Formats: sequence, C-alpha cells, structure tokens
Amino acid sequence: MKRYLIALSLLVVAGAAAQAKEHPGKAYIEKNGYGGPATCEAQECHPGSARKFLDTVHWKHASPVTNVDHLEPGKEYGMKNRIYTMCNGNDIVNNLKEIPPNPKTGKTKFTGCNTCHPGDHIRDVGSTGKEAEAAIDCLLCHSSGYDFRQRKPFKDGKGRVVMGQDRSVKAAMAVGKPGVKNCMVCHESAGGGVLIKRGFSFTRETDVHAGKGMVCVDCHGAKDHKIPTGFDPNNWANDGVRVACADCHGEKPHADEDTNRHVARIACQACHIPRTGGAVAKDFTRWTQGEDGFFEPTTLRMEANETTPVYAWYNRTVANTPTFIGPKGSRGDRQSRIYPFKLYEGKAYFDRKTGTLLSMDFAPPMATGNTLAGVASAAKTLGIKEYDPVPGWQTIYFGSSHLVTKEKALSCANCHAPNGALNFKSLGYTDEEIRKLTSAALYFDKMAEKQKEDW
Amino acid sequence: MRKVSGIVLLLWIAAATAAIFGPVQALADEIKMVGAITTIEIAGPDATTASATLKDNKTGELVTVIVNDDMTLDKFKDHRIVPGDEIRLKYEVKDGKNISKYFRKTAGC
Repeated sequence: MKRYLIALSLLVVAGAAAQAKEHPGKAYIEKNGYGGPATCEAQECHPGSARKFLDTVHWKHASPVTNVDHLEPGKEYGMKNRIYTMCNGNDIVNNLKEIPPNPKTGKTKFTGCNTCHPGDHIRDVGSTGKEAEAAIDCLLCHSSGYDFRQRKPFKDGKGRVVMGQDRSVKAAMAVGKPGVKNCMVCHESAGGGVLIKRGFSFTRETDVHAGKGMVCVDCHGAKDHKIPTGFDPNNWANDGVRVACADCHGEKPHADEDTNRHVARIACQACHIPRTGGAVAKDFTRWTQGEDGFFEPTTLRMEANETTPVYAWYNRTVANTPTFIGPKGSRGDRQSRIYPFKLYEGKAYFDRKTGTLLSMDFAPPMATGNTLAGVASAAKTLGIKEYDPVPGWQTIYFGSSHLVTKEKALSCANCHAPNGALNFKSLGYTDEEIRKLTSAALYFDKMAEKQKEDW
Repeated sequence: MRKVSGIVLLLWIAAATAAIFGPVQALADEIKMVGAITTIEIAGPDATTASATLKDNKTGELVTVIVNDDMTLDKFKDHRIVPGDEIRLKYEVKDGKNISKYFRKTAGC
C-alpha cells in the first residue's frame, strides 16, 4: 500500500511538473524558425540525437531478433522485411508509391507500408548519413500542434514520392514529450485501419493507466530514442530494452498472498486484460471492392474489448513457421507463464513447392483486385523467379498487454470453474488436477469472508 | 361475431405493442454508413462539438452528423481527419439531429 502511495505521489508530482515545465528553446525557434533536427540539436540542446535515432527500430523498422525460431543468423527483422498474414506486404515489397489507376474510376492514390516511417521517404527506412539525419520528422512524435495536412505523400519535380512534414514554427512551438495521440497516429491505424492490428484503444474508458492520466511513454519511456517493449510473439523488432508490469508494480503487487502466489506462473495480463479486439481474420487472396472503386483485403473486424483472448504458456520465445507464429512454453518449463493472446488467422498465398509464405505488393490488387499480380510484383522485387501460389491459412498469436483493467479483472471464480476462462486440459493439467482446480472449494471460504468484509 | 372480436383483439395487441416498443426501437436505432467527408465545421481549437457532412457511398445522399467525442474532435482540430477522407460512421437520430456514435477513417497502412 505504501509503495502504491509513493508511486502515485511521484506520478502526480511528475505530471504536474511536466505540465508546468515549459520546453526551453522556444525563443530560439521563434527567432530563427524551425529547420528540422538541426534546430533541435542547436545550442547544445539535443546534440547527437538525430544520429542516434537512425539506429532505432522506429527508423530502421528492423533489429536483431534473438527469441524467434527459423530466422537467418545475423539478419535484422521487422516490418521492413517480415512476411506474415496481418500485413502481407512489408516496406520492401509494398514500398510507398502511387498505385495504378482504378479501371472503373481512373483514380489513383498513394499507399505503402512505410507510410508511417518518420523520414521523408527519399531518406527512407534504414537510411543513414547526414541527409537521413536531416530528414527526420521530430515533430511528428514530439509536437502537440502538428498539422497533419502537411504529412501527405506527393510527387516532387523529379517524380519521386515524398512524404510531407510540418516544419512550421507553430508546430515547433508545441514541442514536448510525446502524448498518446503522437504514438497513436501510426500505431492505431496499423494493419489496414483504425484499431485493426492490435485492437486496443488507449483511452480513459478502456485502460486503467490512461484513466490515471498516463501516456504511452510513461511505461514505454525511451533512452536515446530506444523504446522499451514487451515480448509480443508477433512484434519481433526491438530496441534491446524491455518493459514489464513488474517494473512498476513489483513481483508481489497484491495485498493478498494467495493472489501473489499466482504471479510466479501467471502473467499479470492474464487476469488484468480479460478482453481483446481488432481484426480476427483477413483474406489477402480475396480483396473487397469499396464504393470508391479501390479494393482492400477482406477483413473481419471487431471492436477493442469485443473478443476474449486465448491463454497459453509462454516463455518469451516464439515458434515461427509459415502456418503458425506464436508462443513457445509449457507447464513443465519454469520460465513459462500463462499469458493471454489475441488470436488471429490470415489467408494468403503460399509457394506450393517450398511451403513458404509469399508476400504481396498491394498496389496491383488495390487498383484492380488482382491479388496474384500483387504476388508477382513482390516476387519480382525480391528476385523470386519460380513459385507456385496456393492459398492457405496462417495462425498468429498477438501479445495482449493493453486494455488493462483493475475493476473488471478476472477473479477466482472466472478461472477456477468448469468451463472457466482457462482451459486447464490444454494447459497440461491432469483430469484429477482439473477436478480440484475447477472447484469452488478452492476459494469459497476466503471469498465468503471477503464478501462479508466488503458489505 | 367471435371471429371479428378475435381480429379486433389481435389488432389491439399489435397497436399496443407498436405504441410501447415502437418509439423505443426508433430511438435506439443506429444507422451505419460509409462515405467521404465533404465538409467539417468546427468553431476553433476549444470547440466541444463539430458537424461533419458525408456523402453516403451507397445512396449518394449527403448526411450531416454532430460529433461530440473528444477523440474525433481532436482529429478534426489537427487535421488527422480532413475532407476527402472516407469514414465508417454510426449515428443515432435524436430530436431530429444525427448524433455520431462512431466515426473512424476506413484507411490504414
């Protein structure tokens, strides 16, 4: 209790201080204008930040990955080059471009996986050097006054596709720590639409941390722009720094010792994130035409909080095959704990000869619905000459670490009951153990006593 | 005579049912559509409400909705949502006005 009060006090003080503290250097910006990273680094304010930023996942869209099966040693992985069925393209094969005209309307548009990359597209994913440093869009993440009309792709005089940036003094004067919206600009629209990919919103209504006024970087606090992340089986790229609930809440977060005993084998998320959402399935072999004439992958969408997770043992290493990406672990493995996952199934083309999953350039199918033309374009980019495309399904377990609740957390009776939230059989328990684990006898006296105290 | 009485009784039950449940159903009806924004009207950075007009992709009709939720208002203010964007919309009709209940861009990456 004492620890919580101290943490809460620190949060309140820190929050008040952050609000009261004016970002220095605004007089300099007013006088000299804003010229991108050079301005941020001027007057010894943030020296070397741009160079260091080029070595982060946000710029490279890839990193060394050490916990996933069947990866090439020494190669970096991330949305730059991954092939899976939530995003059947990647930065390489589905590079930002103007798609061919739609035959029905004659209209075209810009699209590509690297639309969210914080460069100007000329200096793109993983680029290096002074020009890359100068192209960083610092204000996209650091300004609360960014005008998003400026951040649109267009063609320059040489016909190159350029991503616009808001480098106005007005935007620069609103510089500061990233707020929720700075992160969500990209992270909420990944996977083909709002709240499609991970299916969580971070609002007062949907997450207890947001309800307390916290923002993303309060947990995902960066050092040198390296941002700590968890161990989502489907989010491989990482900056080498990690975040976990226990960093703030400790290993004994509950007042009740029986509940604390669960922590050794059950992840916090299992009880405190009882819901999930977003896309449950997509079909990249069959795109649906919208009223505007363009095509999109056929997608089954659910709201944040609209579906229940599946539970599995997870030791933070990942099984990775063409048909399955998900947690490894078992009851017998002491490194494993039970985690909740968002279950997703994606249909795409596989190579009949090799069994590998093929990737897709979205430009052809978006314009005409011809999905095999998208596969052919991607194969050409990757130098794949021979392949035999055949539709197939891939199952993916997404980590579920947001939509945290205290009030609606799972309680004893949710899991320790016949047909409860946990499938003890699939988790490796014997029939005799299951009989004991799913009986109210386990917790009846204690809960009855607590009920008496509560009322 | 008995047959006529039966029909009258049935009609009476139908009318009573409609009277009791009809208006409630009408009030709770949520209308869904997809369409592109033609105009957004918002009164400055401190506005707590805005109106947006969308062209229904299916019917071609213009539909104006009142938007009150903070998240969407913020997206209007910093132009993350602008005219031309295609929107998935749910709204309810209250006191003759269309009130937005769900306002999301269809596009993603």
